[in-house]
Amino acid sequence: MGRWLMYVYDMKKRSMQEPTFLILTALAAGPQHGYGIITDAEGISGGVTRLQTGTLYMALDRLRSAGLVEPDREEIADGRLRRYYRLTDEGATLLGAETERRRASAAVAAQRLRARLAGGTA
Amino acid sequence: MPARDPAGAAVLERRYRRLLRCYPPAHRAFHREEMLGVLLATARPGQRTPGLGQTVNLAACGLVIRVRRIPGWLAADAGQDALAVVSLIAPAVVFILLVLQAVVFILLVPQQAAMNAAASAGSVVPGLLLGPPSFGKSVVVMIAWLAVVVLGLTGRRRTAAKIAFISLTLALLALLLVLVVLIQQDHSFYFNTFPGELFPFLPFGDVPVVLASLAACSLALSPGPRRGLAIVGWRRACLMIAGLSAGFGFPFIVPLVNPAAPIWDLAFRLLDVLAIAVAVAVTCVRGPVGRRVAGLVATGLLPTLAVAIPLREVPAVFPVPVLVSLFAAMLVWPVAIISWRGRAERRRRLAERDLDFTVVYAEAYAEFQAFCTRRRLPASSTRQLERAWDAWQDGRYRRGEISQWPFYGDNPFRPR
Repeated sequence: MGRWLMYVYDMKKRSMQEPTFLILTALAAGPQHGYGIITDAEGISGGVTRLQTGTLYMALDRLRSAGLVEPDREEIADGRLRRYYRLTDEGATLLGAETERRRASAAVAAQRLRARLAGGTA
Repeated sequence: MPARDPAGAAVLERRYRRLLRCYPPAHRAFHREEMLGVLLATARPGQRTPGLGQTVNLAACGLVIRVRRIPGWLAADAGQDALAVVSLIAPAVVFILLVLQAVVFILLVPQQAAMNAAASAGSVVPGLLLGPPSFGKSVVVMIAWLAVVVLGLTGRRRTAAKIAFISLTLALLALLLVLVVLIQQDHSFYFNTFPGELFPFLPFGDVPVVLASLAACSLALSPGPRRGLAIVGWRRACLMIAGLSAGFGFPFIVPLVNPAAPIWDLAFRLLDVLAIAVAVAVTCVRGPVGRRVAGLVATGLLPTLAVAIPLREVPAVFPVPVLVSLFAAMLVWPVAIISWRGRAERRRRLAERDLDFTVVYAEAYAEFQAFCTRRRLPASSTRQLERAWDAWQDGRYRRGEISQWPFYGDNPFRPR
């Protein structure tokens, strides 16, 4: 709990990193395995961000330590281990807060662009 | 996909496995198989070698995770034991280095004076190494460090730490003073142009501050040299002290053998770095405690490295090693405090009342107790129960009875 609070406090100070946001968003739909997260994150970002395997598992390790995600289940597919991860309640709360923050920033940006456009055409 | 070329896929998998060694063992144990699955699934058809970007990413992420785990690595029991071993060997190495410096001073000063008179261009032995004629203070510093060694071995760890701290503080102040004056006056490092007002402080500054800092903080924050001796034994302790003294004392030993040795040449400086690295590797790196000792002692390499890297003339770069020495001496502290916090945590847990696992985990009581009895695992304190629980869960995980790796799973005896 303490570590999660520290993480939240840290996140409040600086915005969430893009890979973290994409991973949490991918897991918000339901438990997913590593390859599923990579393909889903690529889709969410509109093909702009493709997570590297090292980056994904470094982020998962950090998020798991902070209690934001947790292993859900394991299965063997084509002779390979697949571990599914799910979003915890703390992770969902943090993702919600970050989504709100991004929405507010985007709203301000849109408002200013509209004002600029209106000023230019006037 | 690589599945079309099984031989190629096997080669690729072997190469990825090799790359995954960049990650710490605990991370590998938990994530290796799933990471391999993802890496092979994202590989191009017919790919036999990991791409450059993938290689750099895996290596960098492995390094980041290793660095992130350093506090835990230090706070573990082996971290505390390593600090105890350092408290045994570091004061002894500092003392031997001071003796070596004194021997160089006694034997080479007359030769140095003659050489300086004969050839004005270039000095073969640096001025700070020889120092001005203030041998008395050097003897006092030497006796102080001998006292640190003896007091530590006789169980008076705190007194030893206090003396080490006084010497370290004086050394740091002397270095700081030297640094400030040199920067202000733009003086040369050479003896004949060295600012005279600094002479009285130099003997205190002769103490190798990084090793002295290691010695002082390990004495203050670890169980002490006697515990260190119990861990490594006399024979290995002597080997470590001799090896490290030879490595760190390399620039003092060589002029004794050959007074005209060009010890400020780049090749010599690199050789010095190599000598220390080899000494640390050969004497320390064995077992988890030894690796931690090596990691701590290797900080002493930083000033030598700082001298070796710049290619310019020595007088111009003199403040660099001094600055690095000061920085490295300060760096030792947070590292030691992390190790000490591990010890404090362990003490706190030893002091608290043991949990009764019949209450904590009533449903699994009989099975867990049977496991402890069968494996003859000590299970009378919370700490012992924590380890036994992990061992039990590990067995269940291997048999497929539970899906979560035990060290990440719930342990009722682990502090939250």
